[in-house]
Amino acid sequence: MTAPGLARGLRVFWWALMVFLYAPLAVVVFFSFNQINSSARFAGFSWQWYERLFANEVILSALGNTVILALTSSAIAVVIGGFLGYGLYRYRRWKLGWLIWLIYLPVVMPDIVFGIAEMTFFVTLSQYIALFTPGLTTMIIAHVTFQVPFVALLVNARLLSLDAQLFEVCQDLYATPLQRARYFIVPVLTPAIIASALLALTLSIDDFVISFFTAGPDSTTLPIYIWSAIKKGVTPEVNAMATLMIAGVIGVALLSLLIQPTTSATSSKRRSAS
Amino acid sequence: MRHWGSETRYLLLSVAPGALCIVVFLVLPSLYLMGMAFLSNGPYGLPTLPLSLQAFRELAGFGFLGWSPGNLYTLLRSLWQTALATVLVIVIAYPAAYTIATRPVRWRAIMLLAVVVPSWTNQVIRSVGWMNILAPDTPVSNLAASLELTEAQMGLFPSQFAVIVGLVYNFLPFMVLPLYAAFERLDHSQVEAAQDLFAQPWAVFWHAVLPQTLPGLMAGTVLVAIPAFGMYVVTELLGGGKATMVGNLVARQFAQASNWPLGAAGAIIMIVMTLVGLRVLRRLGQRLGGDREVVL
Repeated sequence: MTAPGLARGLRVFWWALMVFLYAPLAVVVFFSFNQINSSARFAGFSWQWYERLFANEVILSALGNTVILALTSSAIAVVIGGFLGYGLYRYRRWKLGWLIWLIYLPVVMPDIVFGIAEMTFFVTLSQYIALFTPGLTTMIIAHVTFQVPFVALLVNARLLSLDAQLFEVCQDLYATPLQRARYFIVPVLTPAIIASALLALTLSIDDFVISFFTAGPDSTTLPIYIWSAIKKGVTPEVNAMATLMIAGVIGVALLSLLIQPTTSATSSKRRSAS
Repeated sequence: MRHWGSETRYLLLSVAPGALCIVVFLVLPSLYLMGMAFLSNGPYGLPTLPLSLQAFRELAGFGFLGWSPGNLYTLLRSLWQTALATVLVIVIAYPAAYTIATRPVRWRAIMLLAVVVPSWTNQVIRSVGWMNILAPDTPVSNLAASLELTEAQMGLFPSQFAVIVGLVYNFLPFMVLPLYAAFERLDHSQVEAAQDLFAQPWAVFWHAVLPQTLPGLMAGTVLVAIPAFGMYVVTELLGGGKATMVGNLVARQFAQASNWPLGAAGAIIMIVMTLVGLRVLRRLGQRLGGDREVVL
């Protein structure tokens, strides 16, 4: 069906698409090494924005907050969401339609409504319970809330793809629930758990709106810092900060590319390792 | 059912933490926010009693100065920008997904990853990238100026054009992935049958290829249009005043304008329109996709 003309056209189209997708990121990286604070003219190579960035304690603490938020929320979400996905599968014959509805709610809720609802809720609640004072804790709670559905759906999808008889096999072999979990469910779910952990991480790193509305004065993350720098019109280190985050994301992408084939290949062998 | 008691306990143990998390930290806050819309605006922008529908009147455009269509325009603009961005995303994603699906298998994962990776970076950073490209005096802006598309030294942002570019850039991967899945499952015998019957290339596409990819197309439309309608960051950073959407209108009531009831009323409209949009797209998907289940 592919005529040579069409094939050539598609190849040109593909590379144009790559330029469209990567130009904005490339421009940010390129001008982060600019000697002057401009994204129109490159005056010469310099490390100065990175030097200023690593000398700025506010930015360093923002970097720390971003990492703590992403790692903590993902870890909690993988545990809670994993159990939710498992429960959803195990009791799929019960009438759990309302539960599915509930799980899809954070997925379809517009970010801005999500963030503002949490903000008003936490602001009110913090008058009575100090734990809910806007800050890193409230941000972690908010992130876990939007990560849990994705983890649950991934884990549930993986379980649905299994032969249901495998569970009966465990019973026929007189496996205790603990043995079944250890030698069957956990090994079989490992790829889904790794995939959902990576997804939770990227969701947390990608989010700005919900973080912005649940953050407190001391829990600024990098995206929030960049946002307020742009809003104030002071943008010297913005490109350098953005470059750090782009590098982090590409690192995770390469990592997932490296992990993915090995997890599927070794998942059957994991039994002894886990 | 001898183990009914322990079964229920296991169900609760596995499901309860996640369900409670969503109920306590999303459902309750949303209800709280929605309730606020029916209160009056207090002196400091915080909602107070008595109950009133004032916020909805203000949202519809009735202020002290009589009726103004500003908010209505914002709502229509949100719908228009969402629709335009979705159509553009389809136009770009369709050939992209086809290209990926026709490559050798070992290339496909890498090509898909290449499409998806930019969307893993933060929304704010992606917008910063486009601000850099579309700012005044950059090659792209100068090209636009020399073609007399914009005035010299103006730059391409902030503008509605920049917002559309930002929306397309943000949501492209969400269309490519389901379309790719549809192309991968494509039944080629239908295409060959059409060709054997000497169908014109466009007829082959229209009758043999397009119907098979419709489920993917509809799934992608849900994944693009629903979040695009609620967009806040792109419009705020790339749009300036002329391209604001409902999300910006709502956020402004909680930040600068301090009119929480009005913002809450706007949030209700956003939730309702999102749910209606989901329902309409789902219905449309079921009809076009031959009753095949579509995402969501």
